[in-house]
Amino acid sequence: MAFNLTRRKFLQTASLAAASVPLSKVVSASTGVTKSALDTTGTAGDKTVVGGICEMCFWRCQLVGKVRDGRLMKLEGNPKSIDNGTAICARGNAGVKLLYDVDRLKYPMKNVGKRGAPKWKRISWKEALDECGSKLKGTVDQYGAQGICVFPHGASAKYPMHYFERAVGTHNVSEASFFQCRGIRDTAYVQTIGKAPGEKVDMPNTKVLFFIGDHLGENVHVSHIKQYIQGLQNGAKLIVADPRFSASAAKADIWVQIKPGTDTAYMLAIMNYLVQNNKYDKAFVEDYTDGFEEFAAAIKEWTLEKAAKECDIPAEQIKEVADMLADNAPNVAIHPGRHVSWHGNDFQRERSLACLTGLLGAYYVKGGWVPPKGPKVGGVSWAKEDHGHEFDLNMNHHEDEKIYPFNPPGTPTDLIRDCAISGKPYPIKSCVVWGQNPMQTIPNQQKMKDLFNAMDFVMCVDVMPTDVTAWADILLPEASYLERYDYIKKGTQWDLSKEHQQYISARMPLVEPMFERKDQIYICNEIAKRMGHEAKIPVKTIEEMVDKSLATANLSIEKLRAEDGIHIRPGKDPYGVPEDFEVRLFNDDIEDAGYPGAPTYVAVPDNPKGFARLLYGRAPVHTFNRSQNNVWLNNAMPDNPVWVNDEVAATLGLIDGDTVGFINDEGVESATTTTVKVTAGIRKDCVYMYHGYGSANPLMTIGVGAGVDDTSLITRLAIDPETGCHGMRNNFVKLTKNGKVLDIPA
Amino acid sequence: MQYGMIIDLERCVGCHACTIACRAEWEVPVPYQRNWVKRLGPTMTADGMASTYYPGLCNHCDKPPCVDECPADAVDMTFTDAKSGKTKTMQVAATWKDPFDGSVQVDKDRCLGCGACADACPYGARYVNPELADDDSEGKVDKCTFCKPRVEQGLEPACVQTCIAGARIFGDLTDPNSAVSQYVKKGAKGLEVKDGHIGPNARYYGKKRDIGLLFADYTPELADMGSVKRRAMMASMVKPAMRKAKDIGLLGLAGAMLVKGLSEDKDNK
Amino acid sequence: MPTTEPSEDIARVYRFLSQCMQYPDADWMTDDFFNVLYNLLGTLGAVEDGVSIKKEIDNSSDPIEDLQVEYTRLFINGMPHVIAPPYGSVYMDQSFQGAFAGDTLAFYRNKGFGMDESADLPDHLIHELEFLSLLAKENDFAGEEEFLKKLFRPWYSKFHPRVSKGAHHPFYRVVVQLIDFFTKEEDKDGFQPNEA
Repeated sequence: MAFNLTRRKFLQTASLAAASVPLSKVVSASTGVTKSALDTTGTAGDKTVVGGICEMCFWRCQLVGKVRDGRLMKLEGNPKSIDNGTAICARGNAGVKLLYDVDRLKYPMKNVGKRGAPKWKRISWKEALDECGSKLKGTVDQYGAQGICVFPHGASAKYPMHYFERAVGTHNVSEASFFQCRGIRDTAYVQTIGKAPGEKVDMPNTKVLFFIGDHLGENVHVSHIKQYIQGLQNGAKLIVADPRFSASAAKADIWVQIKPGTDTAYMLAIMNYLVQNNKYDKAFVEDYTDGFEEFAAAIKEWTLEKAAKECDIPAEQIKEVADMLADNAPNVAIHPGRHVSWHGNDFQRERSLACLTGLLGAYYVKGGWVPPKGPKVGGVSWAKEDHGHEFDLNMNHHEDEKIYPFNPPGTPTDLIRDCAISGKPYPIKSCVVWGQNPMQTIPNQQKMKDLFNAMDFVMCVDVMPTDVTAWADILLPEASYLERYDYIKKGTQWDLSKEHQQYISARMPLVEPMFERKDQIYICNEIAKRMGHEAKIPVKTIEEMVDKSLATANLSIEKLRAEDGIHIRPGKDPYGVPEDFEVRLFNDDIEDAGYPGAPTYVAVPDNPKGFARLLYGRAPVHTFNRSQNNVWLNNAMPDNPVWVNDEVAATLGLIDGDTVGFINDEGVESATTTTVKVTAGIRKDCVYMYHGYGSANPLMTIGVGAGVDDTSLITRLAIDPETGCHGMRNNFVKLTKNGKVLDIPA
Repeated sequence: MQYGMIIDLERCVGCHACTIACRAEWEVPVPYQRNWVKRLGPTMTADGMASTYYPGLCNHCDKPPCVDECPADAVDMTFTDAKSGKTKTMQVAATWKDPFDGSVQVDKDRCLGCGACADACPYGARYVNPELADDDSEGKVDKCTFCKPRVEQGLEPACVQTCIAGARIFGDLTDPNSAVSQYVKKGAKGLEVKDGHIGPNARYYGKKRDIGLLFADYTPELADMGSVKRRAMMASMVKPAMRKAKDIGLLGLAGAMLVKGLSEDKDNK
Repeated sequence: MPTTEPSEDIARVYRFLSQCMQYPDADWMTDDFFNVLYNLLGTLGAVEDGVSIKKEIDNSSDPIEDLQVEYTRLFINGMPHVIAPPYGSVYMDQSFQGAFAGDTLAFYRNKGFGMDESADLPDHLIHELEFLSLLAKENDFAGEEEFLKKLFRPWYSKFHPRVSKGAHHPFYRVVVQLIDFFTKEEDKDGFQPNEA
């Protein structure tokens, strides 16, 4: 199209309608024109705003922001922090790019197309909330509270999750951080020592670090890395069991190149060796453990040789490890792990870790497992209500017992999915996804799609258009961690042997939200009003929630702000075994529930011929799958090469940088390709990729299709029987090159 | 004084925070970088399996191969020692080695954007940003400045401040009591070029197998100074032409090139 | 027809174009609005463009929703991907609130304007056109030329083709063409050179 008039000529003839403008003339407090200087100024002169608490991952370091004219230029660690100090990791630094991500959700949107292939239309908050409220209320009216299932994740999902559990009354809540991550660890330790362990090993002051996996360095949590490095600097020995030469194996004194799935056998052999050779802490066992005799009998079969064969490692190496632990006990750090949902036999592995710690007397002593004595701050949320267990999917009503007896809080994910898809034992008809991306988190993506297709209504709340958001009917844009109040971050100094201090801080916004993003209190309360629960609303605003919470510790938002965002006070000595502490080496309750009372090895299926086991882990610049659209982080590590053993590569004719795809042992193919990384640092029977790449959602313009989505290849459901949590390393793959499928040599 | 940076690979966990903090501090646009982290291994070495990292940056060399290649007109510049207040005046082109703190800096206003300095650097530490081209240049070179503006205010370089493992140590290599000097005494060494002595002032320390792997994979060679000098010479020659109005010369060229590209495409179909 | 000052006219044109870029709503997208648009296109000798828009509208059961979906897809969060967010910083800094947004705000301030609380980011197309209308109203030709050259054209010339290529509905293809026409440089004879 070309216009046949010049602009000047046109102006002499036309007359047009005008509209109102929001630009207003103000008396100029002129800042002058900033000439775009060739040299950037750096941020030292920018305004410092305190109170930031990171949520790029869930370690939650304390931040300050450097703000210039309303623009957040940079994030830095808060110098007052006794946790991370001025340090923050790659993801923490890249938070500004999440804040200003062009693809970030901006307005409420309605899908006027199909689920999975949406046509988005921007709508008003009123329209969006009315729809959510009426649809969810409709589900409750017709099907009961249990007709709603919830997939929450992160600090902002806590309040809404409590609303649906407590005020509305559904049990059908599946938190990824439990069911696809650390839930198994928590309940296994609860069954052994009565509490969840966190990662509370006193690494700076230990003599030996014992890792099963724990690829610290690829997994980055700032103060945890500080503890780890301090320990190494102080001369601690490091033992790492991993099929791959991970970031922590790279610093290890002993690398146990263990066969995947067999870690429990390794630990049982260590424990058996300690028992048989009287190298365990007899005094501690007598004073603080229960069931030693049954335990010792149960693990007796695990000789070094038996484990060596099962684990494909030298028997001398297991002995070396056991001796090193015994020689340095009790000041040894048995790391409980973090993401432990590996094979479906993980509860027993976590039990082994907990019992091993007990055998060595490594609880509450320097260098062992020591929970810090941190400050108490009360939480503020919806009031708890008892909704009974009639609709608890984890209850076997005939036997009046749980299906998964040691489940973490919530309902095992596949009980929800199966119920939603089949309609039995009852209909689940609405789904609320809040900050979680089930599509790239939960095994068997097709099953997740089936769940969504069975719903009458799906709503998603998020900051980014992750893969799951394509399945929403209503999509709501949330204020990010940099734009809202919420999380109370508290704790102690990271080195327990230093001066005892406690800190309390609360997340405060560093900038105002842009567009029409809202916080979770607003969204949840508005929905609650429309669902008839207005009377139960505990707080009107997010600031009110934080102030009430801080008040339980005689603090307030205002007080914290005046203290540079962090309140510090004297702490308490955490060392010393509590009188009532007990390590249940043999646990009758587990036995009564029909599972082994002593830690027990459960073998996993071996590789089908021609396949390698698919292993995944963290990349240090990404968090789960949620940061893949971040311009800076994507630039740092743009894709996820697949690690292939060098001898296997040679046999297959693959060289570094070759492009390959995947096909798994259930016939599922990867949608995209990646490159090969040839290395001697991985076993021949497995391949490895960083998790969180290969988004299928074209709305993620940076992350879409970059690398391979490992979750797409995790189709087999391996459910840990004691807990109902997913194991995700039980799929096997072949590589494909130029359309040809390559068999992995035995 | 000679500022230097120590990278302690025993501490470094390869988290890449240093590269992102630098990018944020100085608004370095993707795809360029002032510093970088490469991931090495796992590789079998003479001292066992090794996996480590190469956090790299400008080495602010003792004898920087880049400085002499700059074809911009030399001018008098007066430098002031931050500590003693002493001054010194020297002739410099658009890039120089600071006589007092030993850092290598750039004057973007006088930079021609020819890239000769970037080509001359064995480490690839400089880049030319074509977005900053103006009437007198094809772009502007950019590089690590050892965070000079921050250091002058008593702050740490951004990469040092953010390092989560305490693996980056910055200070004066000529001060025998400084932390960096202690590392030098322990054997920290720079990635010296093959058969050369340019004296890089970023130095690496770590386990034998890790240092071995790093030096095996990343010891650079001096650039082919022939092509570097040719580029600098060409840039000098076109300086007067560059100052003329750009829409006549450059646009015409671009248009002609575009047409040429199209017809080539046709031929290749 | 009442005679008006050229500066008054161009101010109105800018304001109209700015309005065209607002999120579609039945409140302002009335028959009158479309008639003004067709009229404008007619005087520019582009009657067929008006006809194609009218045809699309007449053939739809919910033309406003069509435009809302199109707007969302092109400018907010669209399928297959957000095509053309109408913010200068996105094209100059590959981000929101990049240095370019800061420069734009500084320019407004230097001319004595600030952003209202209800405003979007300073480098949103709507505000840039509004700003141009205010400069024109004040007969600040130099300011108008400087703003166009330094802060409008550099990014608009990248935004425009994205919309032209990605648009399904003729409305936005035509609107961005109109904006292009009214913001391009002219030589002294009023001819607009082809931008390289």
